[in-house]
Amino acid sequence: MKWNIIFAWAILIILMYAAQTSLLPYIGYNGVSVNLMLLLTVSTAFVHGYRHGVLMGLITGILQDFTTGSYFGCSIFSYMLIGGFFGKFSDRIFKEQLLFPVLSAPLAATMYFFIVTSLLFLIGYKIDFLQMIQTILQPLILYQVAFSWLVHKLVYDFDKFSKRHG
Amino acid sequence: MKPRRKKNKQAQNKTAAIIFILAFVFCSIFIVAKTGMQVPAAGKTMMFFLSPFQKSFSWLGGGFSDFKDSVEEMENLQEETTQLRAEVEKLRAENLNASEALSENQRLRALLGYKQNATQFDLIAASIVGRDSVTWSSVVTINRGTLDGVADNMAVVTELGLVGHVIEAGLNTSKVQLILDPRSSVGTLIQRPESRVAGIVEGDINNPNAPKMVNIPKDADVQVEDMIVTSGFGGVYPKGIVVGKIKEIHNDEGGLLKHGIVATTVNFEKLEDVAVIVESREPPPEPLPPVIQSAGSEIDAEEVAKQLEHAKIIQQEVRDRVKQAQILQLEQVRQSGGGTAN
Repeated sequence: MKWNIIFAWAILIILMYAAQTSLLPYIGYNGVSVNLMLLLTVSTAFVHGYRHGVLMGLITGILQDFTTGSYFGCSIFSYMLIGGFFGKFSDRIFKEQLLFPVLSAPLAATMYFFIVTSLLFLIGYKIDFLQMIQTILQPLILYQVAFSWLVHKLVYDFDKFSKRHG
Repeated sequence: MKPRRKKNKQAQNKTAAIIFILAFVFCSIFIVAKTGMQVPAAGKTMMFFLSPFQKSFSWLGGGFSDFKDSVEEMENLQEETTQLRAEVEKLRAENLNASEALSENQRLRALLGYKQNATQFDLIAASIVGRDSVTWSSVVTINRGTLDGVADNMAVVTELGLVGHVIEAGLNTSKVQLILDPRSSVGTLIQRPESRVAGIVEGDINNPNAPKMVNIPKDADVQVEDMIVTSGFGGVYPKGIVVGKIKEIHNDEGGLLKHGIVATTVNFEKLEDVAVIVESREPPPEPLPPVIQSAGSEIDAEEVAKQLEHAKIIQQEVRDRVKQAQILQLEQVRQSGGGTAN
């Protein structure tokens, strides 16, 4: 992979992360808004496969865990697992098919939710799963579904661009 | 045959590396959670490179927010007009009271030789440029850092009350842990003079918008609607900053303690601008109760509440002093009377 392509991917990730943390919270609900890093990981896993999905999970997780001051490691761990999981389906779907990534958004959000809440439970927090499903998971799923098509299209077009110029 | 074996080995190595990283991260989660260990250099470097993008998007978001607000305002205009007419009448009456309170305030202030002490804190204004997308934690990024004089553990406030404290000050941005964060704990007091019960306000992971005041003895005098202020214990938050008020009270499972659900005075969902307390010279006076605002009355109602509160405090001081003087006089009279009798 050429350096210009790596640089372009880095800019894409940073822009999406800046949008996630600075712009999209304005349309959030109860403090929950779309998680573009999760969508980016899932779409990259679908388009590029298992290893790239894990790598994207690692990068987006590091970015999120280091800059937001959240529980360190939770995002890295969950994104890597989710990236790896969805990457396994990479060779079984048509990459230009946009419906499957959209349908997978609720599953990815649910996986992310249960991995993080389980980790927090293991750390020692008392978790009321039912309440958190209502306050966090439900709005998160709606946001993820709403943005999944856009993010997957972006990743897919970016992949084509990379192949042309890479 | 050999290239295929080599390829297989490479694939195995990559899988092993992934498993190793996952195991390492998994262990790190618990180590960091228990020890509170941080890697500030990496975080600060990333924040430094991210901040221009975040500031730009935040600026865009601010514009979008203003536009959204304008549309909403237009929708509510008719309703507000009716409300405003009623408010005007109410405010006229309040203004009369305020003028009265102000003149009384000035008289009493002159009488007591009070110094106006409105600058207990040195504040730095800051805007929020980033926040987490989900609410496992409540940490926001502000556009001020060590270059502006911000340092770790400085309290962050708005005019309505306490927001949180700086957990990591970068060069030009800082991370602020809100009081809603489950890891945050603030030493607080019930403001009511008859109560003054101490407790800790900490974030509730299950209800990210309403923190809890915990460790309250079951028989303590805590009521719904009681105002909560910072106690000043712990050294991070200066004393007397409004945190919120008790919304509900529940008994803990053990039976000896109870906890209160706190309605914060700061609206964290609409939080855009904050102030960092970089210097606190002395304990501030008793905080003002939050004013219930309605359209058109924002500035005046707050002013009125402030003036009334000042007047009340000064009146109380005067009464106390008069009482003390009377007691002294009575004692003197008794002593002089006793002397004559002897």
